[in-house]
Amino acid sequence: MEKIKSILNSLVGGFSVSGHEIYGKEAIEGLASGIFDEIKVDNLGTMLLIKRSGKVGAKKLLIDAHYDTVGMMIKQIKKNGFLSFTSVGGLDTGILPSTEVVIHGKEDVYGIITSTPPHLKSGAQKSPKMDELYIDTGYSKEKLEELLSVGDPISYKNEIEYINGDYVISAGLDDKACLCAVIDAVSRMDKESLAFDIYVTASAQEETGKCGAARVSFDIEPDLAVVTDVNFARDEDDDSFECIVPGGGASIDVSAVTNRRATKNIMKHLTKEGIDYQVVCEPSSTSTNADFVSISTSGVPTVLMSIPLKSMHTPSEIVNLRDIKSLSDILLSISYGGDIL
Amino acid sequence: MKEILKRLSLAFGPSGCEDAVKEAIKKEIDAFLPKAKDVTEDQMGNLIIHIGGNGPKLMISAHMDEVGFMVTGITKGGALKFGTVGGIDPLCLGAKRVVSESGVKGAIKAKPIHLLSKEERGQAPKIKNLLIDIGANSKKEAEALTFVGDYFTFDSDYIEYGEGLIKCKALDDRLGCAIMCQLIKDIYENNIVPCYDLYFAFTTREEIGYSGAYGASMRVRPEYAVIIESKAVADIEGVSEDKEVCRLGDGVIISFADRGTIYDRDFVRHIKSLADKNEIKNQTNRYISGGNDSMHIQKNAEGAKVSTLSCASRYIHSQSDVIHVDDFYATYKTVLEIIKSEAPVKE
Repeated sequence: MEKIKSILNSLVGGFSVSGHEIYGKEAIEGLASGIFDEIKVDNLGTMLLIKRSGKVGAKKLLIDAHYDTVGMMIKQIKKNGFLSFTSVGGLDTGILPSTEVVIHGKEDVYGIITSTPPHLKSGAQKSPKMDELYIDTGYSKEKLEELLSVGDPISYKNEIEYINGDYVISAGLDDKACLCAVIDAVSRMDKESLAFDIYVTASAQEETGKCGAARVSFDIEPDLAVVTDVNFARDEDDDSFECIVPGGGASIDVSAVTNRRATKNIMKHLTKEGIDYQVVCEPSSTSTNADFVSISTSGVPTVLMSIPLKSMHTPSEIVNLRDIKSLSDILLSISYGGDIL
Repeated sequence: MKEILKRLSLAFGPSGCEDAVKEAIKKEIDAFLPKAKDVTEDQMGNLIIHIGGNGPKLMISAHMDEVGFMVTGITKGGALKFGTVGGIDPLCLGAKRVVSESGVKGAIKAKPIHLLSKEERGQAPKIKNLLIDIGANSKKEAEALTFVGDYFTFDSDYIEYGEGLIKCKALDDRLGCAIMCQLIKDIYENNIVPCYDLYFAFTTREEIGYSGAYGASMRVRPEYAVIIESKAVADIEGVSEDKEVCRLGDGVIISFADRGTIYDRDFVRHIKSLADKNEIKNQTNRYISGGNDSMHIQKNAEGAKVSTLSCASRYIHSQSDVIHVDDFYATYKTVLEIIKSEAPVKE
């Protein structure tokens, strides 16, 4: 687990709010050097990392994990050091008051999302509207105009914490937990045993329209795509939604969007190899990059895999490290699986 | 003094569980305790230091406790039900990091926005529905880490930001404790003879209303009392000026009244004139809100003339309590001037 923790620490350390993934590029480059044969960045900010099998005519396996995270963006610089902002990706305003953030301007600026004190509240408590919240930077407007511009991205101020042995709390585990598993898997891949050339996308802008991965898929024209993303962790105390058990391993998601034959073949392959997985159903769309990768080029056989995650899109997302390890093991096994296609 | 504030603010001490804060305070003033006339730790957990001096009895107090959480149950899934200790806005709870007395870390779970029903969207979460996640997979696993009745607080760093702002958990009221530690140091290092028979009281359980300070006041029976506090203000964007209460950076708040207390007119005027004379930036509250230990302290057997000096604080009772460093020093200087000046003369 130490290796997984170290990959995760690097990934989470790089800031990569949707549309500004490029700032986190160095973290990925650092991890990828020596593991991949080739690294490219496309115009949307998606990083393509290639590991070749060295075999002539090898089939292409695309493995996608998005690199962007939810965040915010400056709308206006107000007086007395306050900023108005908009969300990037889906945020619940009911958790934002008193949350600490980092604004990425000419330099990083610390801020706190405002919260209204009790003497101004009465009646039933409502969540604030996004335009009733501001970020308190403690600077004058003049100073802020030197440091920041409208449109600058904002991320949650984050500390990564490991709790009760197997769990990690951090912002941005959606989807860096999966990207961590992908990088860990590729770092263990033995070139000679590879059944595919491996094309990894650390894709941009999943949270804001899922455009990153599908675009790169057009360049690659993969024979098989495995999209990895987080999914809602089952809550033992709330059975109102069906989902995957944290700590129970990664899941294979069955959906009308994904390719039935490839999904079945992967399940069969993993069973043969004695590798456990959970199964979760996303009957129609999956709300992941799989929706768009599957219809890229003239259609790509796409399989979706997930890691269970708690408190999605908050500064305190929680993942079990064993699920990251499980996804890494599954991806490693698939990369050797000549029987899958 | 900022270093003292940092050390004390990071100490663990929700109401009823102030021992770690008290130890941290004693560490700060260790060298001076033997010089005090008397040091008492009473049944309420208050730490009362009798300094002495010439004049009427004056008790300066600040509370040691902070808001926090108490574990009220453990679910079969291993998550912790909790109640708040002191008043906390439920909007300041979701996805916030917390830590227990024994150092077990976790976060308050937040339902993902994707799963919020139409009715749930736009509504503040209810505290009874919130759970702390400590990474336990079952009740049994959770019970190895915590227990019903265990305390948690926000897990939050001390950060200086912007132009002179300080953020940490529990600045309410460790700022008062830090100022009192500094004053004790000053008195003994600079051989100051107070113009009062001076007591310092580090008190317990302010946040839950059943104040330790009352016990301290009954014991000391001061004629005068100064309460050093932090005051919730709303000098933020989107709030009209008349509801701001006070502003960060505009100096020590010398209150004339709040929801709990009408402050002694002569004593307040005396303090205001001391601040003005010494060119210490000061302001008064422009909105009647909040309350503090002074409401209990004034009700001792003989009754006490009370005044509260506070630092304006944004986002009070959250992980991000914010004060202005200039207000912190202005509050300290004002209290120091009170100690060094003769008590107000009765007309």
